[in-house]
Amino acid sequence: MEFEMERFISALFDRSPPHAVEHLQLVLIPLTTAFIIAFPTAVLLTRRRFIKYTDRVMTFFNMGQTIPPLAVIAIFFPFLGLGRTPALFALTIYALLPIARNTLAGLKGVPQDVKEAARGMGMSEWEMLFKVEIPLSMPVVMAGVKISVVLTSGTAALGALVGGGGMGAVIFAGIDFFRAELIIAGTLIIGVIAIVLDRLLTVIDNILTPPHMKT
Amino acid sequence: MIKLDKVDKVFPGTTVPAVDQVSFQVDEGNICVFVGPSGCGKTTILRMINRLVEPTGGDIYIKGQKVSDKGVNPDYLRREIGYVIQQIGLMPHRTIEQNVALVPRLLKWPEDKIKPRVKHLLEMVGLEPDEVAQKYPHQLSGGMMQRVGVARALAADPPIMLMDEPFGAVDPIVRGRLQDEFLRLQKEMKKTICFVTHDINEAIKMGDHIVIMNKGRLVQHGTPMEILSNPADEFVKDLIGSDREIKLLELTRSEEIVEHTDEIPEVVNKKDCFIQAIDPVQRALETMMKKDSDLVGVRDGESFIGTISWEDIKKHINRISGDQA
Amino acid sequence: MELFGGSTGWFAGFYDEYLGFVSFIIRRWDQVIEYTFNHFSLVLTVMFFSLVLWISVGLLISRYEKLANTAFGIGNILFVIPSISLFGIFITIPMLGLGRTSAALALILYAMMPMVRNVYRGIKSVEWPIIEAGRGMGMSPLQILFQIQIPMAWPVIFAGIRVTVVMITGIATVATYIGERNLGRFIHHGIARESADMIIAGAVLVSIIAVLLDFILGKIEFKITSPGLRREQDQN
Ligand SMILES: Nc1ncnc2c1ncn2[C@@H]1O[C@H](COP(=O)(O)OP(=O)(O)OP(=O)(O)O)[C@@H](O)[C@H]1O
Ligand SMILES: [Mg+2]
Repeated sequence: MEFEMERFISALFDRSPPHAVEHLQLVLIPLTTAFIIAFPTAVLLTRRRFIKYTDRVMTFFNMGQTIPPLAVIAIFFPFLGLGRTPALFALTIYALLPIARNTLAGLKGVPQDVKEAARGMGMSEWEMLFKVEIPLSMPVVMAGVKISVVLTSGTAALGALVGGGGMGAVIFAGIDFFRAELIIAGTLIIGVIAIVLDRLLTVIDNILTPPHMKT
Repeated sequence: MIKLDKVDKVFPGTTVPAVDQVSFQVDEGNICVFVGPSGCGKTTILRMINRLVEPTGGDIYIKGQKVSDKGVNPDYLRREIGYVIQQIGLMPHRTIEQNVALVPRLLKWPEDKIKPRVKHLLEMVGLEPDEVAQKYPHQLSGGMMQRVGVARALAADPPIMLMDEPFGAVDPIVRGRLQDEFLRLQKEMKKTICFVTHDINEAIKMGDHIVIMNKGRLVQHGTPMEILSNPADEFVKDLIGSDREIKLLELTRSEEIVEHTDEIPEVVNKKDCFIQAIDPVQRALETMMKKDSDLVGVRDGESFIGTISWEDIKKHINRISGDQA
Repeated sequence: MELFGGSTGWFAGFYDEYLGFVSFIIRRWDQVIEYTFNHFSLVLTVMFFSLVLWISVGLLISRYEKLANTAFGIGNILFVIPSISLFGIFITIPMLGLGRTSAALALILYAMMPMVRNVYRGIKSVEWPIIEAGRGMGMSPLQILFQIQIPMAWPVIFAGIRVTVVMITGIATVATYIGERNLGRFIHHGIARESADMIIAGAVLVSIIAVLLDFILGKIEFKITSPGLRREQDQN
């Protein structure tokens, strides 16, 4: 493999930064939107009135996973045209699945006896949700968000295919011209974004998780 | 048959020994019961005998041979020693039949010998072979699983059995029945058995010999009678509990204290108040209370041999426990 | 469109609007067959090597705990690398270049994480009393591995295989950008020509393959998993 340090440095520091900002947007906007949609939906689905739909929704989510990431990116583009909008749309949908699934799993995993005890102490349904169920399921929920971060930051590299920008632009240039330096530089920055976000979420997780559940 | 000589075990990463300078001997055909509070090292002793754990000091002998000898392959050694583990540990992915046949298959018994053997064993521990053989462990109750655990340990007819709280997971009534059945089996099998429990009553009932442990040390050992009539210290006394006298009555046969006479007293006849000579004295007491009489007739089979009175029982209690009171 | 009696009536309208990809598939049948075949063969090749390699690694690290963290570290890093980058990096290695070898290698690396993790988890999920019983009955370490740990870990290992197959089937589409002629090509060209029909055709076909493989594996899993373990699975 030909590898020129100079070209690598220039790829990393001259060419990448604007794309890195785009990439960060391609990750954060879908992730936040996805959380705002998926978390309450999943919580709602575990409420008594909707619980009968949970399995069906889970099946739907699991099927969603079989759609290839490239297809997800591509699918909105004929309807929404070139640009960031189709990419953001697609990535949001992609990020939904792990968050929703883990929220459901987390809430379902709260032991029945803990809930009984809470009810026995006279907690209302809402109090129980906010004081018992959500705090106890937080580690699982956060794990889902982290999976979404990794999936989204990787898949966002495909956003460039539909004109969404991001680090994919640099990587695809590298593929078209057989330039390992560009590919590696692009990958490195995506990796850094994913890892930094992951660490940030760990910090948030530590703040949100009740002290006795920490390992 | 089994001999421990100053055996120590200090687990890595700990400083307090789990087993501390323990020596004793189990004779062939005997049941030796280890009893003591949780964490006193009972399981560890069993696991050292079949080399699941290696002692850090001392020696263990089986039939005069050191188990730690270079020539002894631990896997082969274990196939010769039946082991009923505390947590039962049935293989969930195998049927009951396959679970029981585990050791015979390891020993490469011919299949046509295994099938009838499994059937026989399941019957022996009181399970219906046709009903349970093809089931999986999760389809059985806790008590049934324990029986399967015992059957599995007996499968290859090992001369030695290590039984770690084999009747722990069942209610007292079922436990009593399992104990009775097992003692009946043992009369024929005559195996050398190390039996762990933390229930002193079980120890007295099952043991030819009892080893009392506390914090890794052997506190006292001897026959149930020796231990009941002569507890070594406060710990043993506490362990035996305040009903020591009653337990002694369970261990004494009525014929030992019977007042021999040929004449059947009228009151005994009228109230139909009789027991057998081999019944424990405990039974005499119960019968007296039930029939509201202070005299009970003792028979040996059909023939009348004498009576036991309330006074006789009191004298007996004073005799066996009074000396060291 | 002749197939359904011209372009009149509500059905034709519905068909034009939403099912255009069906007629695309019918029109390009030969290509569909070729791409599907290539897709399948790539996924199967990758799965074959992944099973051999990653199950061995999973078993190895369940025995040698110290290696486990290293293996998971590597798996995690590989997982953070976007698929397109991994493909890209492989083609710039002179020995490999454009084509199947690069595509397969990249996908095998991707399979590491879910496979190794599940093998390890499955083996570790066997509770110690069962292992203790096995040892106590005189089973050798290898007998414990093959007669207890692996059979009991099957449900978890298989879950890992299924996740991996679905994932590899999806990511394989991206390999079209390094010269694989598989179903990803419909999506690739669909973007270039702004053809929704082409994109949807590609997406639907890939999803069908993924679901189909998952379904078949599910059947196999049911067949080879001991009924004694099924109830425990239901509880998860
Ligand atoms: N593998 C091990 N590593 C470290 N310590 C151990 C190990 N196994 C047992 N111990 C310790 O050794 C001591 C004796 O344990 P053991 O299991 O023999 O007790 P036990 O008498 O069988 O108790 P129980 O009645 O609860 O079964 C305990 O303090 C226990 O914590
Ligand atoms: Mg124990």
